[in-house]
Amino acid sequence: MKIASLTSKDSYFEAFTVGEVMRHARGKTVEPLENVLITNLVMNTASGHFDEHAMKDSPFGRRVTFGGVTASLVIGMASQDTAENALAEIGMTGLRLKSPVFHGDTLYSYTEVLAKEDAGREDAGIVTFKHWGVNQDDVVVCECVRRVLVKRASHWGAA
Amino acid sequence: MTADFRNSAVLRAKGNHFEAFEVGKRFEHHWGRTLRHSEAALFSTLTLHFNPLYFNREYAAALGHADTPVNPLMVFTLVLGLSVEDLSEAGGAFLGVDDLDYGAAVYPDDTLTARSTVVALRDSSSSPMMGIATWHTEGFNQKGERVISFVRTNMVPRLKPREVAVQ
Repeated sequence: MKIASLTSKDSYFEAFTVGEVMRHARGKTVEPLENVLITNLVMNTASGHFDEHAMKDSPFGRRVTFGGVTASLVIGMASQDTAENALAEIGMTGLRLKSPVFHGDTLYSYTEVLAKEDAGREDAGIVTFKHWGVNQDDVVVCECVRRVLVKRASHWGAA
Repeated sequence: MTADFRNSAVLRAKGNHFEAFEVGKRFEHHWGRTLRHSEAALFSTLTLHFNPLYFNREYAAALGHADTPVNPLMVFTLVLGLSVEDLSEAGGAFLGVDDLDYGAAVYPDDTLTARSTVVALRDSSSSPMMGIATWHTEGFNQKGERVISFVRTNMVPRLKPREVAVQ
């Protein structure tokens, strides 16, 4: 299989410029499909994410989306532009859940390229991204800093 | 007449309050979880995580993997999920995560377990009913290799309100 034809040419290490900010093309409306399914799939037992009746009496009045789902969606929506050619996720820090997300909210993702560095192997480099997730009212719901090992086109571009 | 079962039922409460934590206390979390290929692929597609590494086995093989690795964000949410009953089920906002490092790659049919250690406890300035707890959580595969490590901070309800000095 010619794998270079499976991913786009503009997501290799060389393509990123420190300081560039991207607005990712696809948003996603958070439904129980995302929140309840993933919360239950990963066995997060906090019923505030899946018991609508119990949450009626809470200050929120309804279920709140698990922050791990919010972060995964925000990074997911950024992934085609930042990790389509990733060899590995290295780590993450500064994940902050800044505003609650409810069923029916629509999330969008933005990314700034914070840094690029050599990876100690010639076929890839490390890119540090800052991600923001915003909702339909343009309120920031989460942010994080993520480090990814990304293929270099010089090595993988014709693979 | 027999008493209604609801009147005699004793609540089997779940979760810990802030008072249950002390710095250095360790929790070996319940259950563990064997991750299957279909659910790992579901996680990536549902979150629009479009790196073929996680859902195209031939592509993963070309990158040197015997099978598609599990999306690291699923590893993160799963290990966090396993820790919830011990750490944060009592309610209170999930504030953030720092110093997350991925370790050994996770593959379909690997079995993960989780443990956490309390690293910091402080008062909440906004509520005497809440404390702020920080835990170091780690996930391991069936070979004992660490697959993830992160530090999580949450608001945690107190059993009793903190006494606030009257000025």
